[in-house]
Amino acid sequence: MSKQSTRAGIELESFYGSGSAEQPGEFPFTRGRFAQTKAGGWQQRELSGEGDGRRSNEQIKYLLALGQNGIDIIGDGPTMSMFDADHPLLASSIGTQGVSLCCRQDYIDLFKDIPLDQVAVSSSVPSLVSLAGLLCAAKHYGFDPSTLRGSVLQMPLYGEDCTYANHLPVDLRVRLSLDCMEYCAVHMPKFHAYVEDTYFFSESGLDAVEETALGIIEIRHLTRKLIERGINVDAFAPRIAILVDCGMDFFEEVAKIRAIRRLFAKIMRDEFGAQDPRSQTVVVTSHTSGLSLTAQQPVNNIVRGTLQALSLVFGGAHAIEISTFDEAYRTPSKEGHLIGLRTQQIIEAESGVTRVVDPLGGSYFVEELTDAVEARVLARIEEIEKAGDPETLQQQGYFKKIFHTAMEDNQLAVQKGDLSIIGVNAHVVDAEEDTMLKNIAETKIEPCKRQINRVADLKQTRDQTLANQSLTELARAVKDGKNLVPVVMACFEANVTVGEMSGTMRQATAQPYDPFGMIEPLIEVSA
Amino acid sequence: MASNVPRVVIATLGMDQHENGAIAVQRMLMESQMVTSYLGVLNTPGVVAAHAEEFEADVIGISCHSWEYLTLVPELIGLLQTRNFDCPVVIGGSIITPADAESMLAKGVDDVFDATASQDQIVNSIRDLVIRKRNA
Repeated sequence: MSKQSTRAGIELESFYGSGSAEQPGEFPFTRGRFAQTKAGGWQQRELSGEGDGRRSNEQIKYLLALGQNGIDIIGDGPTMSMFDADHPLLASSIGTQGVSLCCRQDYIDLFKDIPLDQVAVSSSVPSLVSLAGLLCAAKHYGFDPSTLRGSVLQMPLYGEDCTYANHLPVDLRVRLSLDCMEYCAVHMPKFHAYVEDTYFFSESGLDAVEETALGIIEIRHLTRKLIERGINVDAFAPRIAILVDCGMDFFEEVAKIRAIRRLFAKIMRDEFGAQDPRSQTVVVTSHTSGLSLTAQQPVNNIVRGTLQALSLVFGGAHAIEISTFDEAYRTPSKEGHLIGLRTQQIIEAESGVTRVVDPLGGSYFVEELTDAVEARVLARIEEIEKAGDPETLQQQGYFKKIFHTAMEDNQLAVQKGDLSIIGVNAHVVDAEEDTMLKNIAETKIEPCKRQINRVADLKQTRDQTLANQSLTELARAVKDGKNLVPVVMACFEANVTVGEMSGTMRQATAQPYDPFGMIEPLIEVSA
Repeated sequence: MASNVPRVVIATLGMDQHENGAIAVQRMLMESQMVTSYLGVLNTPGVVAAHAEEFEADVIGISCHSWEYLTLVPELIGLLQTRNFDCPVVIGGSIITPADAESMLAKGVDDVFDATASQDQIVNSIRDLVIRKRNA
């Protein structure tokens, strides 16, 4: 790579501090995975998904046309909790806060004309169905699974207690994660089957130490379990990534990312015996914090997103999504997408901050802060792991208590003014004056009736015998331990819906088919 | 209810699973010497109405971070009327716009707390509603 220089023509090294103890691209990778800046910069993507697959496909194409180089998909509330669009309680939420993805055709619509072998598809939709849906669409469009890029999130220990409950027991949720990782280790070498998502639970108000400690605990738990299945750590560890939250404490966020890389490297090498250097170098991606955004003076959120994205670049994040200025009200508008993406592009193309790897490395302050975050994370991990096995702790409500306490503390800190938030408890303006960009932020997305009708029609017109057989096979596989990825793909191919699959998995584990008690199961299943 | 202590049920409705506001308000009310019952997430209007009656609630507070509240809160109010259980309903959340607040008040909601609502405003409003209900 040719040397970069400043505007004044001063030639720059790819990194500084070559005589220091730690170098970028070397164990423990505190300073970065590589010694050179990454060609093409980081992956820039914005959260997308609204209405049905067809509408979200248009949204994806709009973002790619703006220069986005990755896709980031969020499901609507029902999709995130594995309910169907035609559930009688949920009509008013379909497609309003993400895309509704219920069946195979939805995934085919979502990925129409998308080069799945070139653009990485990151999805926040529950991992098993998201992966199976992507594979069905790839098959339909003729892409080999081995060429697919992207990722799914795994949150088996914490998802039920924080934001997106599936009403599945924790041991099954852990198994679903492991099944995805095992399947991809064999069939999808370019795909990140395990993104440890610390973003969603830290939005309860956790601090950087607590967020990282819980993330590392889940990584260690899933890694141990997958090794117990007889899979070599080097077969899957290179495809582990971490999706972190990025709040407003600028230097602490930089230190957090540096500490995560160091912690991960040491754990993989020293605890799990990973030999492949790629197993020791974790990819860190991030969303800027939605919790930090305010409904008051939403234009200020653009500044918050910019500062947070800058700290992520200094930390060496490999993919960034800026939570858009309107997200205190809604999922991103077209204008929000444009500003979020242009913010990233300006940082990358105009500011020059990407010319040097780990530009804050060697700063007395940042190095000490990194050490302090690492030490506190290790102490917190020890404290939690002493309390018991993570799955047992989840069942006992241990993690839920952590999240709820953080929610209370964060909100009360804002209420009492201990945490200064411009527009909320400082520099407040009257509601009549607070108008800038409010019209965009307050514009609603209507529920997608087309999707509700489509799912209801599908259930009437499909081959019902085949659908029932597929669900019976799913129930059997849940009980006998067979990898569920191909089984769920077969369900999709038989036009079984996500709500029917999740309901059947609940039945097979002695849970109510419908947590709301409003719909009847398709087949009888004994637990 | 013999006690003078206000009794408040707090919940979210439908698929709205953002609990931060609900949990913080619950603690705020407890610190203000109220008895609260937090139902958590994923509730139907029917579940909330039935629980409120069983709990002998003075007020129901619904936390809103999804537009479902526009449909489900009026449904809850209708169910309370059907059950002949007189219980004021308040809603709160940053997503509630001034126009939607007006619309909800017109549909029977007793008070609305937007993102600017202070602790005093929320607590005082609920105390006033409790007095009104008990004097009715």
